[in-house]
Amino acid sequence: MDTLLGDDILDMIEIKNLGFSYQEDGVALSDVSFNVEKGEWLTILGHNGSGKSTLSKLLVGLLRPSSGTITVDGQVLGEESVYDIRKKIGIVFQNPDNQFVGVTVKDDIAFGLENLQIPRDEMVKRIDEYANRVDMADFLEKEPQALSGGQKQRVAIAGILAMKTDVIIFDEATSMLDPKGRKTILKYIQKLNEEGVTVITITHDMRESVLSDRILVLKNGEVLKIGPTKDILLDKETLESSNLELLLPLEVMHTLEQKNITHPKLKEFLWQLSLNT
Amino acid sequence: MAIKFEHVSFQYKSIDNKGYLALDDVNVVIENTGEFITLIGETGSGKSTLVQHMNALLTPSKGSMNILGVKISSTAKENKDVQFNPIRKQVGLVFQFPEYQLFEETVEKDIMFGPKNFGVSESEAKKRAREAINIVGLDDSYLSRSPFNLSGGEKKRVSIAGILAMEPDILILDEPTSGLDPRGRDALLEVFYQIHTSLNKTVLIITHDMNTVYEYAKRVLVMREGALVYDGDPVKLFSRKNIDNWNLDVPDIIQLKDALESNFHLDMSGTIRNKKALLKRLEEVLS
Ligand SMILES: Nc1ncnc2c1ncn2[C@@H]1O[C@H](COP(=O)(O)OP(=O)(O)OP(=O)(O)O)[C@@H](O)[C@H]1O
Ligand SMILES: Nc1ncnc2c1ncn2[C@@H]1O[C@H](COP(=O)(O)OP(=O)(O)OP(=O)(O)O)[C@@H](O)[C@H]1O
Ligand SMILES: [Mg+2]
Ligand SMILES: [Mg+2]
Repeated sequence: MDTLLGDDILDMIEIKNLGFSYQEDGVALSDVSFNVEKGEWLTILGHNGSGKSTLSKLLVGLLRPSSGTITVDGQVLGEESVYDIRKKIGIVFQNPDNQFVGVTVKDDIAFGLENLQIPRDEMVKRIDEYANRVDMADFLEKEPQALSGGQKQRVAIAGILAMKTDVIIFDEATSMLDPKGRKTILKYIQKLNEEGVTVITITHDMRESVLSDRILVLKNGEVLKIGPTKDILLDKETLESSNLELLLPLEVMHTLEQKNITHPKLKEFLWQLSLNT
Repeated sequence: MAIKFEHVSFQYKSIDNKGYLALDDVNVVIENTGEFITLIGETGSGKSTLVQHMNALLTPSKGSMNILGVKISSTAKENKDVQFNPIRKQVGLVFQFPEYQLFEETVEKDIMFGPKNFGVSESEAKKRAREAINIVGLDDSYLSRSPFNLSGGEKKRVSIAGILAMEPDILILDEPTSGLDPRGRDALLEVFYQIHTSLNKTVLIITHDMNTVYEYAKRVLVMREGALVYDGDPVKLFSRKNIDNWNLDVPDIIQLKDALESNFHLDMSGTIRNKKALLKRLEEVLS
């Protein structure tokens, strides 16, 4: 890619013919191609073992592709560019334990900031701000290992948010949060996205996908479908073939249609309801 | 016989020596057969701590428990003659993080560990491992793989299989469906429900999924800041106004039912606790 085009690049991430195999256990991803535009919010869905986490680890250079290329903000991901690219993409891992390096929650949030060489004053400010944002300000001196599951997830999220990267990947980052906590985090992700942050969320909770711009569905390591959120949310066949489900109001809509049961305005109503979950 | 907690409090030790009160005077009785319970409550409210007491992985700092006839109190001296192994055989606990449970070289050995540890023969344990892996939705090829080289949801399934293979009398699962794909979630909830109905066993599930609570639970326990704040009927729980204070949410079914009732004046009264019942009712009132 011609770097002179710098400011004209519309795609934040461009993935071409990506393939990956873990040594012993066969192919985890094959011939995956898609783009993520700057400022876009993409949801990745797919059955257990479909390759979602593998894809996210490839994106931040934690795994090396067996084939194909990944381009981030005009830069091809490789041995030399990986450090630059990690400053642009933050990832909240599926298992928060894999994220923790510090002795205390505070150290942990600081760690990512130190890597970005954020000045001390600014660092202190951000630790405070983001610990508060995820409601963990009272736990700054605690060991991450001595937290509950949901508290660990909150800390992992704070650590990445504090880095203020251009792109953030959330790999099932809210799977252990209580309903209210989950909604708070989702609202905040929405706000970040509106401010221009490119967002990729990986989830099994269909309700979390409604706010995104597009949905990518993986199945057995391949792209089954990618399209506007609305289209995929209504695509019963695609969803079910990757062990997913229709949102409840849309399932109702689908069943009524199948049985030729109509009612004025009900369809539009169910659609609106599904967007509000 | 049952699991009975009397004034149980629990304090974690911390590096700053201040300690952290995770259970605060909990009183509860769980029958050893016939119950299907969900345990819910906000992040950090003490759910995982509570269930780790139920098979005596943790013991009270104050108060006492009686687990299937074995009395456990708050002092090491009084507990010195307690046989913990039989308790852990009878009360099977699946951890919130599967990583805490997986440690063998292969998935097969991992699943066999529990049964063998409690006296089941090698060949019987092998047979159970094969059955259990299929029950959790994975095929036989997973048996020879390393439990560490699996996806998050696959690890979760293996950790569940390990406890199912022990065939405990009481089955306790700490967020068993987080990280499962929707079909896997539904299938496994059915498995737990079947274990409960066909063998009349007690099953207790921790979850943040209100739909699970509403659809399956006969009884729901709610925790807040280490205390048990609700113990009773799930239908009643969700008709209360204070569930917001407990960081809970209204199940999707109820939201949809209420919305249909108020916007389209459709008759959604009576018990509609799952998708099937909802669709059936809609068909009736719309056609
Ligand atoms: N470290 C590893 N070594 C070998 N195989 C692995 C490893 N991690 C994952 N796999 C395999 O690669 C495939 C894709 O796994 P991945 O973790 O990307 O799935 P996923 O879509 O994130 O699933 P989940 O929803 O369960 O988190 C799976 O078949 C899995 O068994
Ligand atoms: N090993 C530990 N040392 C010190 N404190 C701990 C430890 N484990 C948990 N705690 C604290 O005890 C409280 C209860 O934790 P617990 O894990 O029981 O919560 P939980 O209800 O299971 O939460 P979640 O839904 O987030 O999993 C939390 O505030 C937590 O920080
Ligand atoms: Mg994953
Ligand atoms: Mg917990």
